[in-house]
Amino acid sequence: MVMSMKNRSIRFNRSKQKQNKRLEEQYEQKLEEKVGKQEIYPDLEENINFIQTLLGNSGDLVTRQFMIQYDPDVQAAIIYLDELVAKEINHNYVLRPLMKFSEIPHKKGRDIWDMAYQSLVQAGETKVEEEMKKAIDAILCGDTVLFIDGYAKTMIIGTRGWQTRGISEPRAESVVRGPREGMSETLLFSLGMIRRRLKDPDLRVKMHTIGKRTKTIVSLLYVDGIVEPKIVEEVENRLKRIQIDGILETGYIEEFIQDQTWSPFPQLQNTERPDAVVAHLLEGKVAILVDGTPHALIAPAVFTQFYYSPEDYYERFHIATFLRFVRIISFFVALALPALYIAFVSFHPEMIPSKLQLAMAAGRATVPFPSIIEALMMEMSVEVLREASIRLPGPVGPTIGIVGALVIGDAAVRAGLVSPAMVIVVGLTTISSYANPNYNAAISVRLIRFPLMILAAIFGLYGIMLGLMLLLIHLVQLRSFGVPYMAPYAPLNRSDFKDTLIRVPWKWMNKRPSFFHPEDERRQAKKDGESESKPNEEGQSSS
Amino acid sequence: MIAPSRFRKKILFSLWLAVLPLAGCWDRIEVNDLILITAAALDKPEEDKGVELSIQVFIPRGGGGEMSGMKTEGSGGDENTFVRSAVGVTLADAMAKLQEKLPRRIFWGHNEVLIIGEELAKEGFREHIDFWMRYTEPRERADVFVSKGKAKEILMLIPKIERNSSEVLRELAEMRTGIKVTVKDLAQMLTGESGTAALPWVEKLPSSNEEKDEKKSIGYIYGTALFKKDRMVGWINDRVTRGMLWLRNEIETALITVKPKEAEEGLVSLNLVKSNSQLIPQIQNGKWSMTVKIDTEVDVIQNTTNLEFTNPKFLQEVEKAVAKDIEDRERMALAQAREWNVDIFGFAETFHRKYPQVWKKEKDRWDQIFPEVEVKYETKVKVARLGLSTIGTTKPEEEVKQK
Repeated sequence: MVMSMKNRSIRFNRSKQKQNKRLEEQYEQKLEEKVGKQEIYPDLEENINFIQTLLGNSGDLVTRQFMIQYDPDVQAAIIYLDELVAKEINHNYVLRPLMKFSEIPHKKGRDIWDMAYQSLVQAGETKVEEEMKKAIDAILCGDTVLFIDGYAKTMIIGTRGWQTRGISEPRAESVVRGPREGMSETLLFSLGMIRRRLKDPDLRVKMHTIGKRTKTIVSLLYVDGIVEPKIVEEVENRLKRIQIDGILETGYIEEFIQDQTWSPFPQLQNTERPDAVVAHLLEGKVAILVDGTPHALIAPAVFTQFYYSPEDYYERFHIATFLRFVRIISFFVALALPALYIAFVSFHPEMIPSKLQLAMAAGRATVPFPSIIEALMMEMSVEVLREASIRLPGPVGPTIGIVGALVIGDAAVRAGLVSPAMVIVVGLTTISSYANPNYNAAISVRLIRFPLMILAAIFGLYGIMLGLMLLLIHLVQLRSFGVPYMAPYAPLNRSDFKDTLIRVPWKWMNKRPSFFHPEDERRQAKKDGESESKPNEEGQSSS
Repeated sequence: MIAPSRFRKKILFSLWLAVLPLAGCWDRIEVNDLILITAAALDKPEEDKGVELSIQVFIPRGGGGEMSGMKTEGSGGDENTFVRSAVGVTLADAMAKLQEKLPRRIFWGHNEVLIIGEELAKEGFREHIDFWMRYTEPRERADVFVSKGKAKEILMLIPKIERNSSEVLRELAEMRTGIKVTVKDLAQMLTGESGTAALPWVEKLPSSNEEKDEKKSIGYIYGTALFKKDRMVGWINDRVTRGMLWLRNEIETALITVKPKEAEEGLVSLNLVKSNSQLIPQIQNGKWSMTVKIDTEVDVIQNTTNLEFTNPKFLQEVEKAVAKDIEDRERMALAQAREWNVDIFGFAETFHRKYPQVWKKEKDRWDQIFPEVEVKYETKVKVARLGLSTIGTTKPEEEVKQK
């Protein structure tokens, strides 16, 4: 299984790799010319000059030269990017101790570098590097570099600190009951939110830097001992293969590491809820967080999980089960209702109850278009309305959206251009597609609707059935990191049915879903008191 | 696990594509291009040859016009159907002739009512039913009626409450006050052992005095037409029809009003809750007899007597009276059926099922046997509920007979 998975991803990446290799080489060459394997000069002035030239005498580059009040007086300088550092750290814990007259008794022969490193610079995160490239990377990340005249090395001081957006409620995934905080654009904040919920020493955070120019930090999270090691390995391999100049959002990574590019179905889930991330980690999945975006990627993903909301696990199981039925019904409505309408109107007038058929015939009496044109027209105008309402300026947005829909819909019916039944169909379809808790899964349904409508217009119900069959064939052969996409339905596993359409009470959900092959299968200790699993793996419901 | 290779995927996809042209659904036709038939009527044409087919066509009127204030005009003539007819040598031929007069394609899929005119019914209509059973479009579950006079006239009536006159008939049949026969049932009856059939009889409801327009009326079910082979031989009225329903185990709603013996005056009305009839045939020493077993449950809904039903003695009286009433009706139905020698109760099938050997020998003589079959009645009536009030609500207490 893993073999085939690898083969496929390699094949998928081969052509891209070639191209990336070339790009990479070009970039390295350019950088080579400028920095190369340049060691840090012993001379302070030379270092300052080199960095300033390399950054093109950038206006936000701050160079502060000063004298260390020590015996003998030594010239030193710190260099940092103004907007990326926490200035008070620089002032209070770097500059002040170095510039103030030292209270430490003068002792001859003491190395000034050791002195600075070991006692003067009062920062938690310091590193000594000898390569110029490292120093430049550090500056660009918001660290401060310290050069001391006469030493061919630099001290990198962790002083990152910049303006961030406050923690706010995730807008696309709001819940009635449950935590209200969403992850933030700053990776460390997001990681903090996850750590706070998962105080497990087995939580692993692996950092990768992806993006030749953006140098984006991408972190891979998983719980060692739950997740199948092969999945982590595969995700890491795929991450390492990414060669691109910049990563701005998880979407870049998703498209690079997903199994099938052409599938309309998302093979990785994304969420901005830290609680959801923890829940997935506990099910034996991995999470990928990217600095600069609040969204986390969850891999592997199966079809059904896109129809679950975190709230399903927070509210009592009755309503969770009911809502899952509602969502799956709305999935079919959003997918097939316009197509069914077309098929019934154009091909199978005998299949509708007589009274309904007469009502529909009356509604369609003045409509000058065949049903497919009518449906496409209405669906497209709803799509336009949807797209436009996102960009409409805040206060007027909802008003124009509703007015547009009502007025245009009503006018179209009055003018006899569209049948009232069609308006209902389009309305139901649009609303149904919003019942899906995951936006990216809703998109796939939104798109597949159109080919189905065309199939219905050419072949009727028969076409819809063929379309749905093709879709099903595609879904069952789809895999996400080796996990069958339709699990636990195909392959069928009855023991995993506790958390599918029916969400059983937590009491009975004592095992993790087996299709992710978790190393530690049990969520809850065995009933007879024998505790196999660690206490904090009992699920986030209790925390 | 085998990875689906690209080659295999290509094969699968081309197979999928190959299925598409096999479709039977190539004939896309919009609702706008169809004539939706709501009812059809068969009559004997004046030329005395072939058959006259009349169809009631639904006129689709756009919702648009109605909304924008044109409604006031339309409210006068609520005609949302019209009737058109054509004569042909066969029904299919008549349909083809009819199509020439209609701008849209005739669509039978929503035809739920078929009315056969009296004259045609008397001559026989078997060959026309073949069209219904053979052609793919018409519904086999359409209701069949026989009309007094021309069937076409029933179609032309404009009802006050339902959408069109055929809808009225369908709803009436659905209420099961008379019999309800679908095309499929009819075909079964015609091919059955006795070759007899019964169809609901439709008459035009005389229009009320204030209604000037002759057309503003409905056809309603009044009794049953009896058929031997496919020819109408007789007619039984509404009351007798009810007796027939009891015998056929088709009774669903019934209101029985009886006068119990003990009561000096007044009547008791009872509503049927459920009933089950069973025909038990017996052939003994060449003597054919049939036991009709009826098990029925009724509720009291009105009591104008001075009897207090909490006393079981009175209740038994009522039960007896009801049983007698039911049996009387059955006797009446049987007598009338025997008058035309039409076995509409399914006696023939029952005998055949129980005595297949005897039946094989005797089936040609059924016409002679049927009037001779001795019918015994075993009717069990149970009053299940006395209604919300048990004591006489409208009578002074001293008048109520408790014991």
